[in-house]
Amino acid sequence: MTNFMSNALEKLNNVVKKFEVTEIDEREVKIDLKPESVLPALSLLKSEGYYHLSLLSAVDWIDEGKFELVYILYSWNDGGKIIVSTKISRKNPEFVTVKHLWPVARYYERELFEFFGIKFEGNDDMKPLFLENWDDLPPLRKDFDPLEYSKKKFPDREYQKDVIHEAKIIRGDING
Amino acid sequence: MGEVKLFFGPNHPGMHGNFSVHMYVEGDTVVKARPLPGFLHRGFEKLMERRLWYQNLALIPRICVPEPDINEVVYALAVEKLANVEVPERAQWIRMIVLELARIAVHLMSMAGIGGPLGLYTGPYWGIADRDRILDIFENLSGARIYHMYIVPGGVRKDMTPKVQEMIVKFLDYLEGRLPEFENLIFKNRIVQTRLRGIALLDRETALEMGVTGIGLRATGVPYDIRKVDPYLYYDKVDFEVPTATEGDAFSRVYLKFREIPQSIKIIRQCLERMPEGKVNVPISEGNALRFRVPKGSVYVHVEASRGEYGYYVVSDGGEKPYRIVVRGASYPQTLYGIEKYLPGTRIEDVPIWLDTMGVCAPEVDR
Amino acid sequence: MANNTIPKKEFFAPIKAWKYMFRKPVTIKVPYVKREAAERYRGFHVNDWNECIGCATCAKICPTDAIKMVEVDDLPHEYGKKPQRPVIDYGRCSFCAMCVDICTTGSLKMTREYIHISPKPEDFVFAPTEKGIHGVDEVPIGWVRDDDSDLLELERVEMEMIEGEERAKSFIEYVKGYSKEKAMHEAARCVECALCTDRCPQHMQIPEYIKAIWKDDLKDALRWLLKGDESNNMLGANPFSAVCGRVCTHRCEEACSIGNRGEAIAIRWLKRYIVDNVPEYEKVLDDIKPAKKDKKVAIVGSGPAGLSAAYFLATMGYEVEVFEALSKPGGVMRYGIPSYRLPDEALDKDISFIQALGVKIHVGVSVGKEIPLQKLKEQFDAVFVSTGFTLGRSTNVPGTEHEDVIQALPLLREIRDYLRGEGPKPKIPKSLVVIGGGNVAMDVARSMARLQNMEYGSVDVKVTCLERNYEEMPADMEEIEEGLEEGVKFYPGWGPVRIIIDDDKVKGVELKKCVEVFDENKRFNPKFDEEQKLYLDADMVVEAIGQAPDYSYLPEELKEKLEFVRGRILTNEYRQTSIEWLFAGGDIVNGPDIIHGVADGYWAARGIDEFLTKGGK
Repeated sequence: MTNFMSNALEKLNNVVKKFEVTEIDEREVKIDLKPESVLPALSLLKSEGYYHLSLLSAVDWIDEGKFELVYILYSWNDGGKIIVSTKISRKNPEFVTVKHLWPVARYYERELFEFFGIKFEGNDDMKPLFLENWDDLPPLRKDFDPLEYSKKKFPDREYQKDVIHEAKIIRGDING
Repeated sequence: MGEVKLFFGPNHPGMHGNFSVHMYVEGDTVVKARPLPGFLHRGFEKLMERRLWYQNLALIPRICVPEPDINEVVYALAVEKLANVEVPERAQWIRMIVLELARIAVHLMSMAGIGGPLGLYTGPYWGIADRDRILDIFENLSGARIYHMYIVPGGVRKDMTPKVQEMIVKFLDYLEGRLPEFENLIFKNRIVQTRLRGIALLDRETALEMGVTGIGLRATGVPYDIRKVDPYLYYDKVDFEVPTATEGDAFSRVYLKFREIPQSIKIIRQCLERMPEGKVNVPISEGNALRFRVPKGSVYVHVEASRGEYGYYVVSDGGEKPYRIVVRGASYPQTLYGIEKYLPGTRIEDVPIWLDTMGVCAPEVDR
Repeated sequence: MANNTIPKKEFFAPIKAWKYMFRKPVTIKVPYVKREAAERYRGFHVNDWNECIGCATCAKICPTDAIKMVEVDDLPHEYGKKPQRPVIDYGRCSFCAMCVDICTTGSLKMTREYIHISPKPEDFVFAPTEKGIHGVDEVPIGWVRDDDSDLLELERVEMEMIEGEERAKSFIEYVKGYSKEKAMHEAARCVECALCTDRCPQHMQIPEYIKAIWKDDLKDALRWLLKGDESNNMLGANPFSAVCGRVCTHRCEEACSIGNRGEAIAIRWLKRYIVDNVPEYEKVLDDIKPAKKDKKVAIVGSGPAGLSAAYFLATMGYEVEVFEALSKPGGVMRYGIPSYRLPDEALDKDISFIQALGVKIHVGVSVGKEIPLQKLKEQFDAVFVSTGFTLGRSTNVPGTEHEDVIQALPLLREIRDYLRGEGPKPKIPKSLVVIGGGNVAMDVARSMARLQNMEYGSVDVKVTCLERNYEEMPADMEEIEEGLEEGVKFYPGWGPVRIIIDDDKVKGVELKKCVEVFDENKRFNPKFDEEQKLYLDADMVVEAIGQAPDYSYLPEELKEKLEFVRGRILTNEYRQTSIEWLFAGGDIVNGPDIIHGVADGYWAARGIDEFLTKGGK
């Protein structure tokens, strides 16, 4: 952990009561927070130099019945990455927006609603971003099966050609 | 005069990939713009979850056509970090050579990219022709021209032969001789200067607020380059500079791309010199490729692509397939948020220039 | 603002452009100029049909699902090969070459061909041949697998064993078995081609249980071992998994596709890993509760075939009683194979599960002496005989009638009884000659080497046989190698002339050179060079040149009805003899090893079930 990073985490201690830190390598840590601590933690880390939001995404832990929200913050000062993670319920998933901290988060959140069905309070623009006329489960959920979907939607191509017969002609086993 | 709605894209000579912008224009000034991605959504993240760790190798480069190698290297670095694998030294140097060659290839292609909107068609011809020489090198190195599938978790698939090294040296010599000609053609060109200077301005504050990385940010005067700030591979062991500019306009961004080429050449020469003999890969897990397993965990790995910060967030549950992979496209912030917020006020004819020099890339946004 | 930075255009600038008129163009004139692809190019495939074994590993690794395996009906059916070849859909192929890198034989390669034009989608599906997809005689080869790009792990995970000299001092099992890490590692090498399943006489579901090991699900693995394919009449189940996990002849490993380029998967040791690491089977598989059927089956002989038949019949709900002449069940597994290869505990684990299913085993009851076979026929609905080869064969050279010239099987039995503490110490000679080159000879030699070590602290065991070298000898190569490590000396290529007896004591063996064992028709017909002689000293000679069946328990009227082929009873595929209530298996029908016996038991059980369901006798 870089000094810069440990300073930031120390200050985080004052704002957030309990959190778990996993050190992935020298310049990367993951912290697991309770949902209610996420906003204060993010704004503190932003003011501590981690003002670049590299990524906002989610992971579907279907067996646990949870969605994990992941905010990856990056600092140009020391090249440190802090992965802020929290788990929310998979039933009626809802969280709060961070678009006031990072305007670009609007689009990440819109994407998450489209692909996971997670709603973000305070972000009203939830029109589909990538998909058109989507009529199934949010597709990045683990219970959505794309193979089944494509079998349902698109025809399979049947080949009539006797491939082996052709190969035998090429090999010279039989005359064509 | 009233507001007119103008559909820009999804297929347009000045547009990269299939991407569309809905613009409301008054006269020839944009007053409102709405990005419309999705034409290239292929569901990569879902597809990756359904393939074996090794099989994904055939899938990931396809996210980005001009620079597929960043995908391979980001994936490989993430898997190696999860699996705690020490990659042979030679492989790391070879990877750096591949990455920098790819960077040159993209920048040469962007000479073509800027030529299109400006109507300067010699740029595209030259850029594409010289890029083809790099593709020849890739073909000899990896067996394919565009989708190399060469950098794998654990190293690279095959060794770099002396013949390929010779080709690279020859090409670098050639390219160094070519650069003044490019400078003459494009950057000393009066038309280019008049068309690009002072256009599509972006100041540092806005760039940081937007989350812009790469050349867009470096054109505002900060030397923020992941290769320097958060070094991966052996970028901390080689000597190179990060060119910056202060104007923050279209010209400075294109010119920065051009100025990065000599730096990449410098890096490749050092790599070729310092590359030791030896093995080029190690298995990431026990067993055969059908049964590779990666320990539980999650990592975020990013690299400096030609367009900025390109990263993967990889989650493993210890199984034979990735549990989740999130792709962070380098141009995601400027393509979505940037277009909506900063395109208004631009004149219609400058829109392609804005989009091109900001590095808007639809495939990595849609995924 | 920016205008003042624009450089002044040079006056001569336009003239400079003229020089480009004289440059060679970078483009080439297609189709007049043909562009050669790079040496490593990943173009269309070639597949050497003679090398390809149809293992389908290419189809499994294919990330785009472009490869399908298609039957080729006129390919020969051989062990270790499947009559199918890959068919590639170039509409799907991503030219990644993973199929080439993982190919178990190296038959699949890529070429430098990259042009194929057709308006019809059908024209993009091919079964690549030696001549590529276009029938070119000299296809330019592109991407091939090399050591760096290989996707298989070719080396076997090493098995820990007690070293040669150390292990020769006792009868402790010297193969230690895999640890969990090692077993999972070895299991990760499997490509699930199932060539092993085809090769195994009992068609055990090998890829399935190896996969279960890899997933660290031993309960599932044990289920595959003991219940086989449950949707297909338990095909592939093996009640003697602990035994076979140690001493099986493992023909499966000869068929293993990994063995084409590397070392075959250690299938036998993996099987052993499963049974060694689960508690009693009945605690793991507690769901075998078939509906009882009111039919009774008698089984004569408690060897591999007999007890397997009992097991499978018991899982079908039949009441089964087994009759064994000796004092413990197991037959050759108990009294033939030495305990350093197969300890009693392993055998007991298998047998106690069979007993837990309700099978009654009567020991010390010799059918034909205490109970006549005819009586079993009256008391039971069907009878299965698997009495094995219990009589030894003799070379019958002069001197073999001496009491210190003995037969292998009784000696091995004596040794095992002694080690178990149930019998007297056998006579341990200071110097021994074993005649025979098979696995039984190895068992005698290596057991005696151990006894000599325990008794005298040194080994003097000599093995001689007709076969001229180690390759010709019927014994497993690893048995010979391990015997050598333990101090056994080998004299292959000699035939006995007489036993040298002096003062009524065995002094040695006189041998003559054997120049040929089999004639041109591959029939056993040894030829000797009478001039060349060899004398080996010995206090004792053991003959281990083969065994024979003992049919004395069969009444004459039954014997007349049965058909015999070279000493073995002829049956149909369900091991039913020409007497409909009498089924037979094991050495007296097929031989030659335990797993064949298990298969006999399985098919006999199905045959008996069918016979009894139809109404019986």
